[in-house]
Amino acid sequence: MSKSLFTYVVLTGAVLSLPAHADDVKAGQDLALDRAKGNCLACHTIKGGDAPSSVGRELAGIKRRFPNRADLVEILMDEPKRNLVAPMPPFGRNRILTRSEIEKIIDFLYTL
Amino acid sequence: MIRALFLAAGLAMLSPPAMAATQAEAEAALAAAQAAETEAIAAKAAWTPTEAALAEARKALASGSWDAAKAAADEAQALAKLSVEQANEEKTSWRHAVFR
Amino acid sequence: MRHALVAALNATCALLLAMAPAKADGSTVPEAERMAFQAFFFAKFPQVAKEDFGNGPYAVNEGMRKQWQEIMQFPPYELALDEGHVEWDKPFANGKHYADCFDNKGEGIRQTYPRFIAASGQVETLEGAINRCRVENGEPPLEPMTGTMASLAAVMSESSRGKPFAITIPDDPRALAAYERGKEFFYSRKGQLGVSCASCHMSPAGERMRGDILAPALGILAGMPIYRSDWGSMGTSIRRISTCSSQTRALPLQADDEEYRNLEYFMSYMSNGIPIVGPGTRP
Repeated sequence: MSKSLFTYVVLTGAVLSLPAHADDVKAGQDLALDRAKGNCLACHTIKGGDAPSSVGRELAGIKRRFPNRADLVEILMDEPKRNLVAPMPPFGRNRILTRSEIEKIIDFLYTL
Repeated sequence: MIRALFLAAGLAMLSPPAMAATQAEAEAALAAAQAAETEAIAAKAAWTPTEAALAEARKALASGSWDAAKAAADEAQALAKLSVEQANEEKTSWRHAVFR
Repeated sequence: MRHALVAALNATCALLLAMAPAKADGSTVPEAERMAFQAFFFAKFPQVAKEDFGNGPYAVNEGMRKQWQEIMQFPPYELALDEGHVEWDKPFANGKHYADCFDNKGEGIRQTYPRFIAASGQVETLEGAINRCRVENGEPPLEPMTGTMASLAAVMSESSRGKPFAITIPDDPRALAAYERGKEFFYSRKGQLGVSCASCHMSPAGERMRGDILAPALGILAGMPIYRSDWGSMGTSIRRISTCSSQTRALPLQADDEEYRNLEYFMSYMSNGIPIVGPGTRP
C-alpha cells in the first residue's frame, strides 16, 4: 500500500509540474466568458471579447503582472479580503466558482 | 486534464468509496437546507442561487433521485450559511467602505 | 472654473464640519457626510453640472448622451404621464382626491420625499405616501413598482422638476437611526456577488459594464420614476432597487421593506441640493 502510494505521489508531482494542458485553457476560457460563471467581460476587457468593459483592469500581460500564481488564486477566491472596497465578487468564497474552475480560469488568464 | 486524472486516481485510492444517498438522507439534507435558508431570509440576507439549489433538490427528491437531491440540498445549505456569514461580517466591515 | 470652485467649496465645507466636535454619544453628522459624498462626485466629474446628475449614465458619457437626446425627442414616459394625470384627477369612492392627502395639493413636493414620519417612527417614500393616501380613503393599495403607481409618481416628479432634493432628518433619534441604517445598507456587500451599492456607484461610476455605463450614486433617485427600455415599461425607484438586488444575486426584500425605505432616505439625503429631473428614461 505505502509503496504504491509513494509511486503515486512521485508521479503526481511530476505531472503537476507540466505546463497546463490545452483542454484546461479552453475550459478556463469558457468559464471566464460564461455569464453564469466568471462573467469576466462584465467588468474586464479581454482581447477578442465582445465587451469594452472598464470597471476592472484590462486582462492582458498577466504573466508579467502576476508571476506568482498564488496571487491570482487569492484574487479569484476572495479579492474583497485583499481590497476592502474592491467591486470584484469573491468568486471562490461565495461559491460562484469552484477551486477547480478557478484553476482553469487562471490557466486561461496566463495565455493573455 | 491529465493532471486532473492523476489527482482523481490518487483521491480514489485514499478516500473511502462514495456511499449512495438514501431517501432519508436526501430528505434530511433538504430539511437542513430549508432551515438554513429560513434563517437567511429572516436575516434579510438570502441569495437567489440558494433558492435555485433548493428548487433543484425538491425536484430531484420528487423524481426519486436521492443522490442528486442530497447534492443540491447540501449545496443549498452551504450557500444559505455563507449568505448569513456574509451579512454578519458586513455588520462591521461596511464601515471600511464609507467614503470620507 | 465654476465646477472647481464648487468642488473646493464642498471640500472646505466637509473639512469645517469634520472639525466640529462630534456629539457626546459618538453619532455621525449627516451634513458632513453629504458634503464629503458630493465633493467626491463633483471632483470625479468636474464637467457635469449639478442639474445633470439626475440623468445618471447620460450625464457622464458622451455617447450615451447622444442616444438619450434622440430618445428624448419622443420621451417614452409620456404615456405614463397622461395616465397619471387621469388617475390623479379621478375621485376616490368617498369623493376625496389624491390632492387632499398632500401639501400644496401634491404639486412641487416630490423633492421632500422620502420623509421620516414621527407617528410611525419609520421612513415613508413617495410611493408609500401615495398608498397611505389610498388606504386612508378606503382604496386598496397599488402595486408599488410599476403601472398606476409609476404613473402617479411620474406626475408628482414632473411637477417638481428643477426643485433640489430637500430631505430633512428631524431631531428624533429614530430618524437619525433610519438614516444610519440606510447608510449601512448602501455600503454593505450583499448577494452571492458580494457587492454593495457603493461598490459600483461610487468609484466605478462612469465606467463601462458591457453595454452599460454605471450611474453615479449622486442624484440617482432624482430621475425616478423611469421608463427603462430593458423592462419595456415604467418603474419606480423601488423597482430599480429590487432589480439591483436580483442582479447581485440577492433575494429581493418585500417592496415596502424598511431596509429599502431607509436606503432611499439615505441616498436622497446625500443628494440634497441636486434638482429633480424625473420622470426619466434609461437603456
